[in-house]
Amino acid sequence: MTRILEVAKLNKSFGGVTVARDIDFVLEAGAMHCLIGPNGAGKSSFFRLLLGEHAPDSGTIGFAGDDITALRSFQRIRKGISVKFQVPGIFKALSVRQNLEIAFQYHLHGASLGETVRRVLEFTNLTGEIHTPAGVLSHGQQQWLEIGMAVGVEPKLLLLDEPTAGMSPDETRKTGEMLHELNARGITILAVEHDMAFVQQIARSVTVLHMGAIFAEGDIDEITAHPGVQEIYLGAADD
Amino acid sequence: MEFFPASFSIFYQFGNAFAFLVISCAGLAVIFGMMGIINLAHGEFIMCGAYVTASTARAGLPLPLAILCGTLTAALVGMVLERTIIRHLYHRPLDSIIATWGISLIATQAVLILLGPTMSGTGTPLGSMEVGERSYSIYRLALFASAVGLLGGLYLLFYRTRFGVIARATIQRPEMARALGVDTRRVYGLTFGLGAGLAGLAGGLYAPTMTMVPTMGATFIVESFVTVVVGGADIFVGAAPAAAILAVIKAALTAWYGQLFGQIGLLVAVIVVIRVMPGGLSAFIKRWQR
Amino acid sequence: MNPIELPDASKAPARRGLKLWLSRLEGPQTMGRGPVFWAVVVLAVLAAVSYPAFANDYVVGNAAYFFVWTFMAMGLGVVWGYCGALSFGQTAFFGLAGYAYGVITINIGSAFGATWLALLLAVALGGVFALLIGYFMFYGRIKGVFVGIVTLSVTLVLETFMAQTAGPQWRIGDARLNGFNGMSGMPPLTVPWPGGDIMLYSGTALYYVLLGMVVLCYLGLRVLLNAPFGNVLVAIRENPERAEMLGYDIRLYQMLAFGLGGALAGLSGALYTAWGQYITPSSMGLTAAALPIVWVAVGGRRDITATLLGCLLVIAGFQSLTIYGSQYALVVMGALLVFTVLVTPDGLVFTAINRMGRLFKRVRR
Repeated sequence: MTRILEVAKLNKSFGGVTVARDIDFVLEAGAMHCLIGPNGAGKSSFFRLLLGEHAPDSGTIGFAGDDITALRSFQRIRKGISVKFQVPGIFKALSVRQNLEIAFQYHLHGASLGETVRRVLEFTNLTGEIHTPAGVLSHGQQQWLEIGMAVGVEPKLLLLDEPTAGMSPDETRKTGEMLHELNARGITILAVEHDMAFVQQIARSVTVLHMGAIFAEGDIDEITAHPGVQEIYLGAADD
Repeated sequence: MEFFPASFSIFYQFGNAFAFLVISCAGLAVIFGMMGIINLAHGEFIMCGAYVTASTARAGLPLPLAILCGTLTAALVGMVLERTIIRHLYHRPLDSIIATWGISLIATQAVLILLGPTMSGTGTPLGSMEVGERSYSIYRLALFASAVGLLGGLYLLFYRTRFGVIARATIQRPEMARALGVDTRRVYGLTFGLGAGLAGLAGGLYAPTMTMVPTMGATFIVESFVTVVVGGADIFVGAAPAAAILAVIKAALTAWYGQLFGQIGLLVAVIVVIRVMPGGLSAFIKRWQR
Repeated sequence: MNPIELPDASKAPARRGLKLWLSRLEGPQTMGRGPVFWAVVVLAVLAAVSYPAFANDYVVGNAAYFFVWTFMAMGLGVVWGYCGALSFGQTAFFGLAGYAYGVITINIGSAFGATWLALLLAVALGGVFALLIGYFMFYGRIKGVFVGIVTLSVTLVLETFMAQTAGPQWRIGDARLNGFNGMSGMPPLTVPWPGGDIMLYSGTALYYVLLGMVVLCYLGLRVLLNAPFGNVLVAIRENPERAEMLGYDIRLYQMLAFGLGGALAGLSGALYTAWGQYITPSSMGLTAAALPIVWVAVGGRRDITATLLGCLLVIAGFQSLTIYGSQYALVVMGALLVFTVLVTPDGLVFTAINRMGRLFKRVRR
């Protein structure tokens, strides 16, 4: 197995608040991994560090064999990282088709662009909504559209920030199937997720973040049975 | 030249520039800091204050009272405009800026139509004093004192009065303030009125030193914009030190190369500052404090 | 509902070269498509072409004057409407290029088509200056209102600078800048012609040249805005973070769009100087800077067609009001701006066209 993502000794703090503390994190190519942890554990900050929205205070981020620590966000994306935000990051005033075209036109042109748009529409079940302004889609459809935008040009690594937030159980199940299909096609997936049922549906391995540091890592069943993990979740629930 | 007169001259130059920056930007900074709106009619509120001050002073009112008249008139006009126009645009900040520019056009040209291309002003009071070989306008020194007083007064208003507390709460968490029973619309209205009044005060204070023309507001615009941009959103943390720094730049460049280079220096400073610290001085200072 | 229309690019032969560019005359970023729309466009152009046959020279020269401004308006449309960066200072590039045209032509004369070279250089200067300002703004992560303030400050400082160049030491070669009174005495655009150059003084010939330029610029912008470049600009306007996270260097795109807007403002400025053989610092002043905002806001900034039509309409209205005095006209402009912002934030012309379009569709059904 090759390592697609290698994070070493990553630190970041804002003023007095530490959001990443000596994070060492490795993701094998082809993995489907979840990142869990109570609110404020530093999951979103970790994503922002991976995406280059924040620069780390120290530490390195390696992606597919290259050191990307100093690269800017769009350069990391061009190397094959892709992201779906928690709040649907779509262009609400534009049609579904325009959203997808903008997402792919950096890599694709002409016929292959049209073909990819068609394929992704099918994959996301949005073929009937091609001319609909993205802002009027249902919440679940907006999430799918964004997943479609993120995977149309087959990234190496897909980052998902709570992909099922606000979805109905049925939509959540469908989303899980979509992710399995993507993973089967060779896309490595790293997801931040709250819903433990969903985590169990999609992930074989999880990492628990707590107060900006890695608290535990391992097989999903091990982690759910881990007394310390239960404690930090319960402790957080008391707040 | 002896040491004292030379340093006094430098202080005078600096004080003059500092006073101009602080006084002209205060109204703009309050409205921007509190409401996120850049009031492009700022210069016209200044003009309004100056015109009222000059005409009431020539009608026989003592200058301080005339300045008060100018301030209150501008504040009143500001509150009326907030009620009729700005209020409908709070959810569209960029559009509200455009609207204030429309107001600015209307005001400048309407004054031109109604009052003609110039109006006679009042002379500069208080005379001058000699330090060393040069003479200095005492009124300019009074303006420096006014600027310092203005900053102090605003600090007291926003940090020591009920209105100030409510206003700051409203600005930071409008929903929360509303939930606590604050009439946020009224707060916005008063804040806009305060900003307009401060602009009027600037006009009143500078009325004795300027020619009364309908476009006189434009004289203040660049300086006040630049100060607000360099200062960032928080007027106390940002705008006052920004004014001090910019005053040094402006005074030095003006003394050496003339007025124009003072202004160009300000512009270069602003571009460098936003390149180096986005969010302005206040964001920079706040980050450094933590 | 209509049957679902799939993108059929996979079946259609791939469009290349000229055909691809022509296909982009229509697209999601511009209003108007189909034979009816283009028939109206052709009719409008034909009407404009035949206009001088029915009007006297003065009126035609006046219409040419309207055309001069449209480039700045369309440029602002791109920067503000499409890219979402509200520039208050397009007049900085207008004035800079206007002065540049004057300085260059006064120095090198008008022989051998030199005025066209001057026009080109002036436009390039406007564009490069805009790129420079754009670099500092967008790479400095300046957003929203601050873009407006910086650009407005730039134009006002330029005005102040030009206003104090009255002294004889302010000359570039043979060209005196003349401070507040402005610069004059430059030649108009001149077409080299065997048997005597044709000087394009305000009149029918200049009208045709400018009409051609307006049509070309309009069509060119339609193509550009429907090309991937335009898509990215709109994406940045709608959601800059998402656009960056799709792999676009948004600062570069913003800077380029701003440069384009500056070059177009420069084109207006250079043409203005050539048209009237005259330019003053007040062309960069506060009032002058407000006018492009009025045209574009009233026309509709989100669509290049609405911007162009709105600009022409508002300027025509402004001019007919100037009979009563320009101060009255400016009051009306201010009121129009406030009215537009309050009542039709998308622009009067844009809203009107949209309503008409909907009505038309309903009638057809």
